[in-house]
Amino acid sequence: MRKTATKDRRNTPLAAGMLTLAVGVVHTGGAAAGDMPNEEARVDVVYENATFARRDVGLSKFRNTLKVDIDRQLGRRGAFDDVGVNLKLRGTFDGVYRLNEDTYGNKAGGAVRLENTVGIPGSSVAHGDGLGSPTNPLTAGLAGLPGGGAFGFNSTDPSAPRYNPNEGMAVLGEHLHRTDGGVAFAVPVRPCDKDSRGCIKDYLDATRQELESPEFNDRWDFIREAYVTGSVPFDDGSALFMKVGKQQVVWGRTDLFRVLDVINPVDYSRNNIYDELQDIRIPMWIMQAEYRAGATETFDDLNFAVVWNFDKFRPHNIGQCGSPNVILDAGCFMRGMKNLWDNGGTVANFANLGLPGLAATDFGPNQIGIRKAHLPSWSLSNTQLGVKLEGQKSGVGFSLNALTYRSQLPSLRGGIPANNPFDPVGAVDTQPQPHPYPYLIAFDVHFPRVNLIGGSMDLQVDAIKSVFRLEAALTEGEEFPNGLRKRLFSESRVFRYVVGWDRPTFIPFLNKTRAFLISAQLFGQHLLDHELEDRPLGKVGMPDWKDNNIFTLLLKGFYMNDRLSPQVIMAHDFRGEATTIAPSIDWLVSDNLKLTVGANVKVGRGARKFDDCRTCNPFHPFSASPGQGPNDGSLGLGGFEPLGRFRAGPIGMAQEEDELQFVLQYKF
Amino acid sequence: MKMKTMTSMLLAAGVIGTAQAATEADVDKSFGPYKSGVPTVAGVKPGMVIDKSNVEAAKAALIPSMAQFIKSGQTTLAVGETYSFGISKNYIDATRKNLNKVSLGPNVGDLVGFVAGRPFPQEPDAKDPRAGEKVFWNFQHNNRIGDSYTIWPWHMEYKNMASGKVERTLKQEYHIIQWKHRVDQDPRPEVEPNPSQLLRSGYLKVHEPQDLKDTQLLISRFSDDAKLDEVYLYLGFQRRVRRLASNQVTDPFLGSDLMVEDFEGYNGRMRDMKWEYKGTRDLLVPFYAHNKQKLAEEPKEPDFKFIDFGGEGACFPNVTWQLRKTYVIESVPVNPDHVISKRVHYVDAETYALSLNEIYDRKGELWKTFVIAYTDSESHMPKNAGRGVAINDGFSIIDVQAKHCTTGKFKVHLDQEMSPTKLFSVQYMRGS
Repeated sequence: MRKTATKDRRNTPLAAGMLTLAVGVVHTGGAAAGDMPNEEARVDVVYENATFARRDVGLSKFRNTLKVDIDRQLGRRGAFDDVGVNLKLRGTFDGVYRLNEDTYGNKAGGAVRLENTVGIPGSSVAHGDGLGSPTNPLTAGLAGLPGGGAFGFNSTDPSAPRYNPNEGMAVLGEHLHRTDGGVAFAVPVRPCDKDSRGCIKDYLDATRQELESPEFNDRWDFIREAYVTGSVPFDDGSALFMKVGKQQVVWGRTDLFRVLDVINPVDYSRNNIYDELQDIRIPMWIMQAEYRAGATETFDDLNFAVVWNFDKFRPHNIGQCGSPNVILDAGCFMRGMKNLWDNGGTVANFANLGLPGLAATDFGPNQIGIRKAHLPSWSLSNTQLGVKLEGQKSGVGFSLNALTYRSQLPSLRGGIPANNPFDPVGAVDTQPQPHPYPYLIAFDVHFPRVNLIGGSMDLQVDAIKSVFRLEAALTEGEEFPNGLRKRLFSESRVFRYVVGWDRPTFIPFLNKTRAFLISAQLFGQHLLDHELEDRPLGKVGMPDWKDNNIFTLLLKGFYMNDRLSPQVIMAHDFRGEATTIAPSIDWLVSDNLKLTVGANVKVGRGARKFDDCRTCNPFHPFSASPGQGPNDGSLGLGGFEPLGRFRAGPIGMAQEEDELQFVLQYKF
Repeated sequence: MKMKTMTSMLLAAGVIGTAQAATEADVDKSFGPYKSGVPTVAGVKPGMVIDKSNVEAAKAALIPSMAQFIKSGQTTLAVGETYSFGISKNYIDATRKNLNKVSLGPNVGDLVGFVAGRPFPQEPDAKDPRAGEKVFWNFQHNNRIGDSYTIWPWHMEYKNMASGKVERTLKQEYHIIQWKHRVDQDPRPEVEPNPSQLLRSGYLKVHEPQDLKDTQLLISRFSDDAKLDEVYLYLGFQRRVRRLASNQVTDPFLGSDLMVEDFEGYNGRMRDMKWEYKGTRDLLVPFYAHNKQKLAEEPKEPDFKFIDFGGEGACFPNVTWQLRKTYVIESVPVNPDHVISKRVHYVDAETYALSLNEIYDRKGELWKTFVIAYTDSESHMPKNAGRGVAINDGFSIIDVQAKHCTTGKFKVHLDQEMSPTKLFSVQYMRGS
């Protein structure tokens, strides 16, 4: 086991700098009142504590956040009028990594055992004791392989390379499902400064300090936003509006899920999908130029915007394994796979030895897993560009959008050079190793270029006292896992849409004088190039549903002059057969103090199964099932891991993450 | 005979929606109701203070809810001199120029031939079944904003009337622009292009408290009364503009005791109410000279002091009230599911401002009293002098059932530069 000791990334000077900057501005930012509404410097300092407790886990969040918002309108400056400067700072310290370090911190995880349905030497084996280990009686049967095979890895000798002990581990997906005859492997769960196994450089490699205080990193995320606005007025009443700096760009008209609102990546590690998007969008350095034509002879309002995201690429933060919020549990799958590649590891129920059941198998390094992540470096061609035409006509608001960007979700592309554990000497496999093997679960992580076109509109339908919001987008370039392809992925065009319905509605027995807000949304996703086939042992292809819908419902009430506001948010994934119910109550004790008590409960089917590529036969003929050819691909044997997560969806994969939540917010 | 043809003939004959043609004398009387003397009511004299000891004697000059507030010791009322506020000459000239060009259409909300000025300057006729509607058209097209105005800052406080505790304090800016029928500010008579034929828009932005910071509201009303208002809300914490359903205007505005539909006394379409003229009375109303009032020391504002509030829970404006000629209009929602059963509006005969409004709940019981305080523009900030506009100087809306009130203190600027047309767009909300 290695520990990262070469670099102290605590960035203490940055933290101190943030506080100094904030305090300095608070002291100097006095109100300079004038006749114009925005001539004052506005400084808001807000402290927030979010304390969450998770079922069967205990404390899952003790997040303390300090936010400083500074807005200053400078008025006319040169050709620009209404010049404004905005600075938003945020610093977080989440104490859960120390207060619950057995689960999320330096003492998380432990020794694990992997299912072994072959039953020899038992129904499970310890990590490091699978087929290929000297301690496993079945290993003797590998002697007939060319060169004796190259199964097995170093789980016992700290002084030898690629030490991968059975410490600080969890079994992939164990919090959600049993292995149940499928595959599984051990996943390191401690922060990457404590245990660097499985950490993916520059992608999922956070130290405890970076998990505790994610803003204090080398991208200076404590400067949450810093931008300048201004507009150049023209004689005809139109204007060119500019907004340059680190910022969020909000496209679209939807809540919770995104169709058009895809310019900024999202930090799902903060609270999965449930925080307001403004708090979890990752601001980027962006230039917006918007020609505001205003009212024309045809349109009530017409604007054309160009958005250039010139920042270095950043993916979504999907949550590092071992932290409380790991959306789809993907971070754990990837960390486990990275550890398999670097150090080898035991894979449950893998090898078919001709006996009843399957043997947990010890793979060696560079045979299966994730090799590395290809994060796009900064170059002009890697920047992202969008255009939007937006306007109003006859009571209908509309937009037409186009964007070329990098996928913020990882794509796992197979076909990387790997070693053959059955034939390390190349007796049969005569191509010099390492080399690519078809259908081999050995990947690099890529973030492909995606092109999007779409549009949105809203309109009022008075007959039913409702407002409808519509959004649709078509993308090309997105990549999905696909067991039918030799590199185990393929592109698909994706059509997404949302129909939102908002209606204030009186519920007299609950409130006679104030309407409740009912807001429902139906999100749809259709993969135009979806591939799925029936194979002898099950379906093979793309685990993502060809067509799926998620329904969300918000019911929000208001009492005590809106100072007490109960609400319930529900989301149901139709194909995932999973539902979230999130009731909460906001209480504005005063203008400065707000308390929120809530819960987040999931019901439904939870984990789902799909082809796991155990029958992919990458190392023909050694891994072939009877009658299986070298390029036949998977026979469809499946389990919960690793691809069932795409069927369960983000709600289903969080099935066991029921929480009680308490948030205190105080404005100084 | 086809209905359309018959309607045209009736219109031509002045049968529908018009009574007698208005005369120059009607215009003079409409804009100068106190030329021949100010009203008097027994038991009411300028300089006196009406309290629970003498309220019975002054009852004839009080609206019922104010009489009750005074009777129960919740407030007192200082009586000031009655005087003419004076109306913009341009507005009066427009009234004269377009006299008798306007008429009511067959349905409530239909106004035919309106150009600018006061549509119906003649006295309301109790025998005219549509007299109430005409009075309210005069309100809809009165000169209360001088084509555009800005309230900055607007301090709004939510108060527990019984304890006096201030539960919430908001600081906002509010802008209104008149797109059509403009008489005071260029471009006149209309801002162009105006493809949807907007009549008026209001834009509001919340600056404080922090949890509502950057919340913005944009309300646009169409010249065609049949069209629904367009209402957009930008929530700072969502950074997204949401379109609001039209019935959301009857929700409490940002949790206050005020609905968006209550703004300025009534902020809705004509056709959404049934209007009834209930008579003309000389009533005490909160009309006064701002610079002659005892003004508040807080909040501080350069070169300006806000009106103050007193009485129970500090829910009543501390201003003088004057006897003024007032039209009493009752409005009943057409929609039976409306949150209220009716409003009684007290319409000032000179300015057509709605300074007093009583709002009844669905059971028909008094729910709220909405008091809007008006000063003449000569007595306000120097830059507003000479505009001939009754300036909305503050308000209090009192929920008599919940014993709660919301008060507002305004600093009004009749300053076109502060309300540029760019404010009144959805895109401005997104980009601001």
